[in-house]
Order: sequence, then C-alpha cells, then structure tokens
Amino acid sequence: MSRYQQRAGPTMISPWLIGLVVLTLYPFAASFYWSFCRYDLLSRPRWVGWQNYGRLARELAEGGTFARALGNTAYYAVTCVTLSVVVGIGLAVMLSWRVRGKAIYRTLCFVPAVIPTVAASVLWMWLLDPHQGLVNGALESVHAPGQGWFKSTSAAVWPASWPDDHQGRIFGSKDGLVLMSLWGIGNLLIIYLAALADIPHQLYEVARLDGAGRFRQFWHVTLPLLTPVVFFNVVMGLIHSVQAFTQIYIVSDGQGDPAEATLTLSLHLFLAAFQDLDMGYASAMAWVLLVFVLLVTVWLFRTSRHWVHGGG
Amino acid sequence: MSDRMTKIQATMTPDATTAKCRYRFTAGPGAGRTRKPPAPRVVWLALLLLLVGCMDGLGGQPDRREEIVFWHFWGGRDRPIVSQIVEKFNASQDQYRVRAIAMPGSNLDLKFLLSVAGNDPPDLLNHDDPVVADWAHRGVLTPLADLASEEELDRLGTWLFPAASSLGTYDGRLYALCNGLDIRALYCNKTLLDEHGLALPKSIADLDTIAETIAPAGADFAGEQMGYLPHPRRLWSWGIAFGGSFTSADFQFKKNDPRSIITADAPQIVSALTWMAGYSRRYGPSRVAEFRSGEQALTGAVFPLLDQRRYAVVMDGQWRTRDIAAAEAIAVADGQSCDQFSVVPLPASPGGHEDAGWVNGNFFVVPSQARCKRGAWEFMKFWTGFDGSETHAATACAAGGWIPVSQRIVQEPAYQEALTRQPLLREFVRLARSPHQVPVPALPVASLYYQEVIRAAQEVMYRGAEPAAALKKAADNARQRLREEMADGP
Repeated sequence: MSRYQQRAGPTMISPWLIGLVVLTLYPFAASFYWSFCRYDLLSRPRWVGWQNYGRLARELAEGGTFARALGNTAYYAVTCVTLSVVVGIGLAVMLSWRVRGKAIYRTLCFVPAVIPTVAASVLWMWLLDPHQGLVNGALESVHAPGQGWFKSTSAAVWPASWPDDHQGRIFGSKDGLVLMSLWGIGNLLIIYLAALADIPHQLYEVARLDGAGRFRQFWHVTLPLLTPVVFFNVVMGLIHSVQAFTQIYIVSDGQGDPAEATLTLSLHLFLAAFQDLDMGYASAMAWVLLVFVLLVTVWLFRTSRHWVHGGG
Repeated sequence: MSDRMTKIQATMTPDATTAKCRYRFTAGPGAGRTRKPPAPRVVWLALLLLLVGCMDGLGGQPDRREEIVFWHFWGGRDRPIVSQIVEKFNASQDQYRVRAIAMPGSNLDLKFLLSVAGNDPPDLLNHDDPVVADWAHRGVLTPLADLASEEELDRLGTWLFPAASSLGTYDGRLYALCNGLDIRALYCNKTLLDEHGLALPKSIADLDTIAETIAPAGADFAGEQMGYLPHPRRLWSWGIAFGGSFTSADFQFKKNDPRSIITADAPQIVSALTWMAGYSRRYGPSRVAEFRSGEQALTGAVFPLLDQRRYAVVMDGQWRTRDIAAAEAIAVADGQSCDQFSVVPLPASPGGHEDAGWVNGNFFVVPSQARCKRGAWEFMKFWTGFDGSETHAATACAAGGWIPVSQRIVQEPAYQEALTRQPLLREFVRLARSPHQVPVPALPVASLYYQEVIRAAQEVMYRGAEPAAALKKAADNARQRLREEMADGP
C-alpha cells in the first residue's frame, strides 16, 4: 500500500469518524455522566449519585409518571410490532399474487411510507377525530360505535382501561397511534416481498405434490422461510416503536394528552429534559430505556433459535 | 441519432504519460485535445460576486444603528401588527434598529435556552409561557433594575395593572415587562339561553342549571348541544374563583417550607375540581372527551361557541371577541341573523372571589448575555406604551384586540374607540384591573407546577381519580422539585 493510499483511507473516513466521536460517542458518555447529576442545561452539572435512578425506581414502584410512560411504551411497542408482522406478511402475500395491476397495488401500499410524519400525523388527527372524523363516520354508517381515538384514555387491548360507560367505545389514543404506524408499513412490505420472492418455487411444488393446500403451503413453507426476516423486522420494529416521538408529540399536544395516555418514554424524556430542565433525570431515563431495549433484544435473540428457521 | 451518439460518446484512452492506470476523457471530433482550464470562469464568477457586493453597498448609507435581535412567536393576523410596531420603532430611532425574527411558538423555550447555553441569545424575547421565575432563578434573565433607572421602575410599578406586574416579578424583582394580558371569562350565547328561558350565569348554581337544562344528564348529547363543560386546564381559573390560591400569600421561597408554598391541594381547589368532575360523571368521561374533540387540537378549528351552537357557555380569552365580530360581519353581509353574545366574569362559589380567574400574558425578557440591552429596553417601552408612546401602544392594542397592561393605555382615544367597536372586549379590560386575576405562582418550578395541576385535573375528569388525592400527588411532585431547587440554590 502506497503512502498516498495510507493517508487517503483515514482522510476519507474522517468526516464520519469526527461525526461519530462528536455527535454520538461524546453525547453517549455525557448522558451517562449526567444521569448521576442534577443538570438544568444552564448551570454546571452537580453530582448526586444514584438519586435520579432512585427516583425512577420510586416512580415505578408507586405507579408514578415513569411507570405510566413505561406502560404506554410497552403497549405501543408490543401492539405495533405484533400487528406490523401480521398485517405486513398478510399484505405482502397478497401483493405477491399474480393479479392485474399488481404494481399499482404495491405502489399504493408503499406511498404512505414516504409521507412526512408531521403531515401524516395531522391527517390522522382529522381522520380519527371522534366528532367529525371519517373513520368514526364510516363506523357509524355500519352501526358500529364511534371511538374516542386521540381524545380517549382507553386502550383496546387493555380492558382495565375501558371506561365504565364505554358501550363499545374502547379504542383510544394509543390505538390511534398504532393505526397510524400500520398505515406507514410500506418499508416492511418491501422487505417481506423480497423475502417471499426468495423462497424457492420447488418447495411449493413439493408441498403441492404432498397434497398441501394454500393455507398449508403458507403455514409450512412460506412462514418458516420468512422467519429470519420476521426476526429482523421485530427487532427493528421494537427499537423504532420505543423511539417513536414525532407522531406522538403532535397528536398529544406535546404533553402526552389526554391524561398521560400517550406519554411514552421518549416524550416523557423530552419533557423532563427540555420543559422541566431536568437533564439528569432525563439522562437516567434514557439509560433505563437503553437497558430495557437491550434486554428485550437479547431475549429475542435467545428465543430466536426456537422459532427462526435456520436460527441458532 | 447515431451522429449525435458519436459526438457525445466518450472515449477512454490510456494516458501514456503515467505508468498507473489513469485515463483522460475526450469527446468526439475534439478527441485527443486537452480542455481549457476552467480558471477564467472562476475569475468571472468572482468578479460578478464582487460587483453584486459593491452594488449592495451603493444602495445607500449603511445603517449604523445598533441592532436589537428580537425573537417573538406572533403569527397569523397578529404578525402584521407586530411588523408595524417594529417599523414604527425603527422609524422613530436613530440609535437602535430592531430585527424581528418570528419563531414557531411551540418549543420557543427550548430554542431560547439552547441559544443561552450556546452563548448566542437574542437581545430580546417575547413569550407567553409561565417561565419567568424558572429562568430568573437560573440567572438567565437581566433584572429590569439593571436597565431602567430607579425612578422609572417606581413609575412602572404604579403604571402596570397588578396582574401585569406579578407576571414579570420573581422573588421581589421585576424580570419581565408584560405587554399584553390574556384574561379569561365566560362567553355566553344569549340568544340560545333566551330560547331556553335561561339568564346569564351569575353563580355556580346558574351554570349548573344551564348545563342541566340544555343537556340533561343521561341524554345522548353527542353531536348536539351542551350548556357548559369545564375543561381540565381551567382548574387554574376555577380554583381561584372558588376562593383558593395555588400558593400561600407573600411567600418567600428561600425561607418557607415547600409544603406551605405550594397549595394546590387546598380545600377550595379540591372543591373546584370536585365540581368540575361532576360534569364528567354526569355525562360520562368518554362522551365528554368525544364531544370536546376538534375544539382546540385540530388546526383551523373554529371557536366552539360559534360552531353550530354547540355550547351555550364557553370559557375563553379576549381574542375570541375578534372571532365573534368576524362571524357577525359575515352574517350581516349575507343578510342573515346572528346570535347575540355576552361576556360575563366567572361566577364565584360561596366564599369565593368575584372577578377572579387565572391570567397570563405576553412579556418581554432580556437575556443576561444580550448584547444590546439598552436598545431592548427602549423597544420594550415603545411597545408597551410606557414613558411616552401611549398612543402607538393603544393603536396596536386596538388593532390586535389585545388587553393593555396599563389603565393609561386603556384611556387612550384609539383604545376607547376599539372598545366602542367591540363592546365584548370591555368586560375583559375591566377584569384586567381585578386583584383576583392571578398568574401561575412565580416559582422556579412554575412550568412543572402548571402541568402537574392540569394532569391532576385530567386524571380526575378522564380517569375518575379522587380529586383530593390527585391534587395532593400533583402538589407533592411540585414540592419535591421545589425542595431540590431550594437545596441547589440559583
């Protein structure tokens, strides 16, 4: 290797290296230090030891704001990831069928993924408005009860949260957010479509020779061979849904409204850091969030050998 | 086509002058010739830029006035009025020139704090969140005593309405100059009330009667009408109207115990929240939430009082008088009849305060690192009308439908004319003088305290929590944070 090449390599990657050190490694280390401090952005951080983590533990034990934010985040992440897998695979399988206008259907399914989050959020606020929204209008036209969506604290998958007078109005703000996330599922579809195209046709021929119908072919051929992609999408989906911020900030009026029903960890962290000027507490929360995602990811990797085809 | 292809087809020939594999790109007929260096183009470009630069300088005398960088959040129909104020100030000045920068209102706090942390704040900021005490406590703001003479400050103290003075004061010092008050009162659709044989509300019982008459409990009112429906964030107003106080009188936060300073769990405030929660219980929280939707959160939402008579009574600020005036003008132009509206103060509960409510407002603050503090002070005075520019201030307040911060501005002919044109505004101006118009307590944890109280009200009204317990929890959270601030010191 010439001296020119020896110099050229590091020079070429230096913008990225500088970016990594200044914009990632330094904030990473700084936030760890601040998580043990009281820091209001304007004065010097003051070391307080484990106080911020103690406060988080106390709030978790007493069902405080942090506990609620953690619960909301877990609800959103689990519901989003589960439904995105089910809907994503279902749609991908349908979009792989040989039908007229397949390209148009695929494009239509992908278009929402390129719409900016802010625009999509405002659009969904209108669509899911309980009083004037098109979704409730459609529900009521088939005599189904209109839902509270972003104005309700209810959560469809959590009966304890249903109000006493719900009369079938069980979908609330978190469910509205989940619906929004499913609308932008286009990126996942591309991955699923690519994985479906990668499944050898011979396997389907063999299955058909063995007398398998369409459902059995899907269950015993398609699904197992999709599991590596499902695994990837579950891990990435989990990380994305835990980090989700923009759409939640917009639909919740920036405060996790109504009554903290949409206060996720990322929003709680933002408000603590920049509204309450409590950067130490926010940093501690960020590290707890990291550990939480890390533990779930490790658990997913450990269990993957049991359900991912070729895994382990 | 093929001829064109030949012309544009690039040929790659090994460069014999170098041993390494380098190629020289040549094209069509000129293949083999080296291209002219692009230097002349660069020279022409540089000359052009130089010329443009010179022309800019030839445009007139350079402005040698000191620049005041002014951040504000005013948008929509208020922005032209703000631009006019700035233009008038600039025209009146030979020493200072304001450069106004409109910032998005959301997260203005964050943008400002980051500019302070980055040591590049504006010279002047106009804001409306309860942040003065938070920022003053952290040494971010310049006390007005550093800008104004003692004599000026004395005059300012008597010139401002009490509410305007409290909005800018922290720990006995004035840090912000209020330039407009936001007062809340009850807007009533008088025509609708008359149709139901109801009078304007003068007591809490009247308000309950209006609510019960227009929307009886148990009725399916979705998409129909409501008499009145309290919003959780209005606890800040109702708490005071019920005779409560969110802080102990004349507290000194460095000396008193946080338990006695933060009093959100006082019996009167618990009573107010219990009364508000009665509405949620009466109609059911999910129905209330559904009915409320689309009123504030959606972009472009109209004033609910005007939206197909959805309410008979709504609590809102003085800026809604413009909406009513606009709706009346449209109705007149269309030759249609229009409902009659009235504004009344919040009725006091037995033992509560008359003409009471929660007040906030727009205010100027000067960052401690500002470069042009004197200029900022001159502009603040010009806008608010203090010390000689009352007429300008009155004209601006009249144009914007704003509540002035001083009786002197109210008395100006331009503003009196506006009150004649918009009689509904008169009640708000009267309320501005009331000693029971109270802002969020000036505490270093004011923002947090404000949100905690609203959260508690939401918890009670949307989730059925018990009022006393929810308010105690909110108060304890704020006390804990205040205790930490007191331990840390400014």
